[in-house]
Amino acid sequence: MTTTRRPWRRDWQLYSLAVLPLLFFLVFRYAPMLGNVIAFRRFRPGGSVFGEYWVGLRYVTMFLADPGFWQVFTNTLIIGALTLVICFPLPIVLALLLNEVRIRSLKRFVQSVSYLPHFLSVVIVAGMIGQLLSVDGVVNALAGTEIPFLQRPEWFRTIYVSSEVWQTVGWGTILYLAALTTLDEELYDAAKIDGAGRWRQTWHVTLPGIRPTMVTLLILNIGTFMAVGFEKVLLLYNPLTYPTADVIPTYLYRLGVVSGNFSYGAAIGLFEALIGLILVFSANAISRRTVGTSLW
Amino acid sequence: MKRIAASIVALSLLTACGSSPESTDLEENRAGAMESYTIGAQFKATAPITFDMLYSDHPNYAIKNDWLFWQELTKRTNITITPSVVPASDYNQKRSLVVSAGDAPFIIPKVYPPQETPFVASGAVLPVSDYLDLMPHFKDKIEKWKLGAQIDTLRQEDGKFYVLPGLHEEVWQDYSLAVRTDVLQELGLAAPRTWDELHTTLKAMKAKYPDSYPFSDRFAIPDPGGNLLNMIALAYGTTGGWGYHNETWDGQNFVLTGAMPQYKAMLTFLHTLVAEGLLDPESFTQTDDQAKAKLAAGKTLVISTNAQNLVNDYRPLLKDGATIAKIPFLAGPAGEVKGYTRLESGIMISAKARESKNFVALMQFVDWLFYSDAGQEFAKWGVEGVTYSKDATGTRILNPDVDFVGLNPSGTKHLQKDFGFSGGNFAYGGTTELLNSTFSTEEQAFQQGMSTKTSIPVPPPAPLTDEEREQATLWETPLKDYVTQQSLRFILGQRDLAEWDAYVAELNAKNGPAYIELVNKARTRFADKNK
Amino acid sequence: MVSRRIFHVVNGVILTAVVVVTLYPFLNIVARSFSTEEEILAGRVNIVPRGFDLTTYRLVMSDDLFWTNYRNTVVYTVTATIISIVLTTCYAYVLSKKHLRGRGLLIGIAVFTMFFSGGLIPNYVLVSGLGLRNTIWAVVLPNAINVFNLLVMKAFFESLPAELEEQAAVDGLGTYGTLLRIVLPLSKAVVATMVLFYAVAYWNSWFTAFLYLDRAELFPVTVYLRNLIAGATDATSTGSADTDVAQVAANIKAVTMVLTVVPILTVYPFVQRYFVSGVMLGAVKG
Repeated sequence: MTTTRRPWRRDWQLYSLAVLPLLFFLVFRYAPMLGNVIAFRRFRPGGSVFGEYWVGLRYVTMFLADPGFWQVFTNTLIIGALTLVICFPLPIVLALLLNEVRIRSLKRFVQSVSYLPHFLSVVIVAGMIGQLLSVDGVVNALAGTEIPFLQRPEWFRTIYVSSEVWQTVGWGTILYLAALTTLDEELYDAAKIDGAGRWRQTWHVTLPGIRPTMVTLLILNIGTFMAVGFEKVLLLYNPLTYPTADVIPTYLYRLGVVSGNFSYGAAIGLFEALIGLILVFSANAISRRTVGTSLW
Repeated sequence: MKRIAASIVALSLLTACGSSPESTDLEENRAGAMESYTIGAQFKATAPITFDMLYSDHPNYAIKNDWLFWQELTKRTNITITPSVVPASDYNQKRSLVVSAGDAPFIIPKVYPPQETPFVASGAVLPVSDYLDLMPHFKDKIEKWKLGAQIDTLRQEDGKFYVLPGLHEEVWQDYSLAVRTDVLQELGLAAPRTWDELHTTLKAMKAKYPDSYPFSDRFAIPDPGGNLLNMIALAYGTTGGWGYHNETWDGQNFVLTGAMPQYKAMLTFLHTLVAEGLLDPESFTQTDDQAKAKLAAGKTLVISTNAQNLVNDYRPLLKDGATIAKIPFLAGPAGEVKGYTRLESGIMISAKARESKNFVALMQFVDWLFYSDAGQEFAKWGVEGVTYSKDATGTRILNPDVDFVGLNPSGTKHLQKDFGFSGGNFAYGGTTELLNSTFSTEEQAFQQGMSTKTSIPVPPPAPLTDEEREQATLWETPLKDYVTQQSLRFILGQRDLAEWDAYVAELNAKNGPAYIELVNKARTRFADKNK
Repeated sequence: MVSRRIFHVVNGVILTAVVVVTLYPFLNIVARSFSTEEEILAGRVNIVPRGFDLTTYRLVMSDDLFWTNYRNTVVYTVTATIISIVLTTCYAYVLSKKHLRGRGLLIGIAVFTMFFSGGLIPNYVLVSGLGLRNTIWAVVLPNAINVFNLLVMKAFFESLPAELEEQAAVDGLGTYGTLLRIVLPLSKAVVATMVLFYAVAYWNSWFTAFLYLDRAELFPVTVYLRNLIAGATDATSTGSADTDVAQVAANIKAVTMVLTVVPILTVYPFVQRYFVSGVMLGAVKG
């Protein structure tokens, strides 16, 4: 008893800080989760929130046997992986480049401009992409071609990922720049005394300094990499590009609009969540073992 | 909830026997209702009542609480509507959510059949067909305009329908093609009347302006060629675009649309247009703004239109004496045909309303506002003397300071924006006279042309059971996606039409025949049950 | 030194390219907002307004509803950001204490929610059942803690030197005192970042408001904006031609966009101050 009571007495103030956040998670996150039971029960729109009767794994076997699902599952994986591989490192590079700028006003200006795309609504972005890539658009004019990019399945991933890069890179630097401010100038001085050039300073001081931020973000990105931007895909794809562009959320959207098939969606949602959870746990474990930093 | 469900079941048994239930069952629900409410009567609740209603808020005429519409409605009917305002951009999603969550207002408008079907099985929406005796105007219009067969297409597996559709006296076709008339004149051509004539016209245009695609269409998102495929499919005796269904009624049976020879003929024709450089390949994927930009730049000479697009979108864009007009609906191999439907989107009533003591008043109110001549005129034109007046012949004329669809360009107030009339939630359907009353003379001429065409036959009802529907939806979407995708590839020349047989085999692999069998089975089952 | 100069040139070129690529579309929208509809559709507007025209600005700005919604956005954003910052900071601080019993569980509770969520209908039923519909709380409470932000903040707290807090304990400060007087002043950069992240997210969010508010005068401006610019895609699920589909002029879209984005852009430089200059230095050295 005494061993359990002591940490409580010492840390009760800390625990008290956790009360409101825990209440939040309980009410707004965990309570609605009970609704996921409809993945195993027949839900009728307008009927009970928890479904009408048990159907077991009917919806799970349904999507496992649906070739359409596996097609969009693969697409989701590919687009997610490409986005992760390309969109994760670029903000780091940009942040390091910005960090090298010695004129403060210039640094601010570039930074301010680079996050602008983050504010544009997806509808506007999709509209601009459509104009740029049309047959008589800028891209074709510059390349001297007449390719209807948005009608070609083989171009879709390139288009999607490039637009993601454009929209997110500037904004993504914010966390790294904040982390960079915490680096101790003395470490650089020490490195200079050891005769390290800028490259080696970057390699031996800057990068290790922002490593916790990098690792945190990487693990989080890995865990959520199936969350492909639904709205953007919806606005950019068309039936001709379905073979590469159709992802799980858009597929469910088309299925769901007609049918109100929430049970089917819930089953797929659970499946996705499971994958995400496994990924983030593995990434965390690997990271803890190899670089010593982890989420928990 | 169980109790309502039980009472609904009980009611349905009663109606099945042909007796009218409400005289006995509705005693508790007559508060505020009129004793005798008959055809031609002005509905007015005996005491003030408030009803809540889902409301689709259109950005062009955003909702205002001080609209004359609300005030006058309360004055005339003693009913106050509390709108649950939903942005039009995402109306369907929110409607589905509130109904699914059991939180729906009594009146749920702008439901496009079959959007009501998912809610049938749970009993969340009212089987309105059980209560038609409370709605004399609705019943009257169904009879007078011979809409029985059309209404039957709304019937569910239990033989009832759950949505009150907008009713039209005649088939109303708003969409057609717009053509640059100055170019027609320059080439000495008359407006085309068939798709083959359009082909000839486009060739002449291309010869004169070889650098551009004379036909570049809009309405590509979310259904590629929404209007174009809808129109031409009709002319070829199949369905496509906005009107696409996986099944098409051929007079005897439902057949798989994407495998019909008519469908192939249509694709072949469109492919010819693309191959000859007459139809812009981007027609099927570009945004409306892109299409309009091409029209403004003088590259496009033919484009899809409705009456409003022509006046609001196209004419202001054209300069230097360029003129554009809507051409008559084109005919094709299927003859001088038009669609069959005289039903529009409609209203669902929440099943909860049945328990309200004001239920009868609600049904009477809905009947008056949406289905009586007076209610429809009110919703569309407003208040005589304030927004419009009638001349000696009975023709309605907007008051000089009121503008609507450019009829009164000098008006300082707007019938929709400032008064709340002619909005999409309340004003639709009605007599041809009322419909035509806000049309320009050129539009009236177009409608005149439409009235000479014959409607294709109404398909018989083929409602699926709850379980069948769950299966069917998993077949339908992939099937439709595949047909759309391959249609575009055939049209654009990305796939050779010589591969047609292989394509049909692919449709078979995607459960096409199984789906059609399901539909035909449902059709015969329904016919047997309702002999 | 030569390589240093080459690096700066290359760096300059890259950053200039970034500026051009990101600035262009934005200038284009600003230019559109000052141009006439015909000029825009004719594709003549680049980064200079054509047919200079302020009527659209006057039109949008004379709409009372626009300003009502705008005020709502400001109120919702400020309230929600304050709540979020408080809750996130508290929880992140707790999670950063490695010695704490049950810390793993507390982290697990948060991380789990990143992957498993309730779906639309249960969430709606919950908010409706709590009586939050058509109140500000429906907008500010359901997303009060973003787990991503929480973990970033936790990582930051963990990176603070432990000696600082040991010193605080020696000085007789309790947990609350340490957090308020020692930790937070050192965390300006991360708090500024979190304020920015939360504020921008709330400023841009429309979906929660769309779900739980049914009165136009309660909407934030994003719902107004979305109805304008996404209206054209409305036919999405009707599956048929709807004559009532919104056709909103291209310049109205641009004007409303500009008016919505500008405030958050003007706030940004004040926040940015905190992560352009090193904040830690003084604290650690002094």
